[in-house]
Amino acid sequence: MTSTSSGRYEQLLKDYQTEYRPQREWSEGRGFYLIVGHFLVGVAAGAWLFGLFFQDLISLLAGFVLAGLGGLAHLANLARPERFILMMLRTATSWVSRGFWGLTLFLVGSVIYLPSLMFTDTFWQSDSVIASAGVAISIAGSIIMMAYMGFVYTASKAIPFWNSTLHPVLYISYALRGGAAAYLLSLAFQGEAVAGGSDILVFWIAVTATVIVLWLFEIQGALTSGEEAAVRSVHDILAGRLALYFYVGILLIGLFVPVFLMAGIIAPLSPTLFAIIGLSSVAGDFFMKFSSIKAGIFMPVRLQSGNTRRATRRRKI
Amino acid sequence: MRWGMVIDLKRCIGCYGCQLSCKAENGTPPGVFFARVHKQEEGQYPTAQTTFLPVLCNHCDDPPCVDVCPTGASFVWEDDGIVDIDADKCVGCRSCMLACPYSQRFLNDEPRNYYGEQGATPYEEARVQRHQTGVVMKCNFCRDRVRNGQDPACVENCPTIARYFGDLDDPKSEVSRLIRERSGFPLHPEKGTNPNVYYLPA
Ligand code: SF4
Ligand code: SF4
Repeated sequence: MTSTSSGRYEQLLKDYQTEYRPQREWSEGRGFYLIVGHFLVGVAAGAWLFGLFFQDLISLLAGFVLAGLGGLAHLANLARPERFILMMLRTATSWVSRGFWGLTLFLVGSVIYLPSLMFTDTFWQSDSVIASAGVAISIAGSIIMMAYMGFVYTASKAIPFWNSTLHPVLYISYALRGGAAAYLLSLAFQGEAVAGGSDILVFWIAVTATVIVLWLFEIQGALTSGEEAAVRSVHDILAGRLALYFYVGILLIGLFVPVFLMAGIIAPLSPTLFAIIGLSSVAGDFFMKFSSIKAGIFMPVRLQSGNTRRATRRRKI
Repeated sequence: MRWGMVIDLKRCIGCYGCQLSCKAENGTPPGVFFARVHKQEEGQYPTAQTTFLPVLCNHCDDPPCVDVCPTGASFVWEDDGIVDIDADKCVGCRSCMLACPYSQRFLNDEPRNYYGEQGATPYEEARVQRHQTGVVMKCNFCRDRVRNGQDPACVENCPTIARYFGDLDDPKSEVSRLIRERSGFPLHPEKGTNPNVYYLPA
């Protein structure tokens, strides 16, 4: 039995005394695992799609393993993980439930497809009906996985900073950027020629540019939303408690380092450079997700000005 | 039938009676508050004033907390519109806490007691510890009391009679009349949740 002197209780009371309360539910304690989980399943879905497109077994395996780890991280986020199976019940309205199905479909599809590539003599062939079904199921699962995270945040009405309708597109773009980075790592691991990777570098640049544009729109949307909580979230990222993660983690590690290396300024492109580019890109993505989730601030509950004089009823009584 | 509440801000004196009676009635653990009173300071000396805003779950007609719940643990009672939680189904994902624009959901994350090393009091053993840990909790308009014909504990214990409880679907009920006659308003209607708790202007 824990007493009220536990740090978390003190923190809770302190938070409730402030007008702009930072969300800790999905970023601290077991909530940190949700950030890890969302990061991992995003990269997993991207790596899987790139693996399928380029028929690259290492990317496919990486996608499968990362998705499994992401699933475990999602479980670790639950206060009652033993009841996880109940999460498949509410697909009609809940994006968390849909995400659960997406991950399940992905894992089932990849378990069907991967043996056809790895043990060609033991199981079905990669062009068989069974393997094709596995591919189709896994693609459906990965698309849901990429999209669901953004929708989960958009549905969180208490956090104005997350309410942007661009969030789902942004998370899909992150996943594709993560997939490109995973493929670069795979090429590096295989010692592949630089030529094989230049296309993917162009893709990486395009998807990174998309992420930047979407993110700027989000920031602009938050600043002009009229929600003070959203404005504070932006301030926290750019000049407050999360600024270090933003400038070092996102900008320096996730953007400048890869771009600098791609330009071939330090050394000509090589598998090692590919590996560093891939790693710094995924690290940047992690910091991006970490800071935007951690930046969430609850909207304050209060009487709005004019509220006390004006009836705002919507229904007839 | 749609249960609703009206809180008269002109009558509320910020005594925290509702908050305490709710704690006593529901045996909520430390860190879980079904009813709270927000103290708001406005303006500057010499025209500064303190306003009190009692808050609780609004039992919204369009509750985002129910929509986001992946297990169906959060649900609406069809017969009276009360938004409730089935603790046996809750996985503690906390999605509903981030979906509720009114911050009316609390995670009972670990066993706690109010008196430190002294351990749980007999009251806490009997009332607080019956609640599951690792699940989210919130006000359910004292549904058991209401089904027995009583008012919620916060309504019954408000010393200034600032709280009224009744059927919002009945145009002749006191709550409907007060909203109509005194321009009752809900909190944050812009969130599209259609709350069933109304406030009368101070
Ligand atoms: S006030 Fe919050 S917890 Fe209560 S029904 Fe509305 S959204 Fe759900
Ligand atoms: S914490 Fe419980 S009640 Fe809330 S959304 Fe998750 S499962 Fe539903």
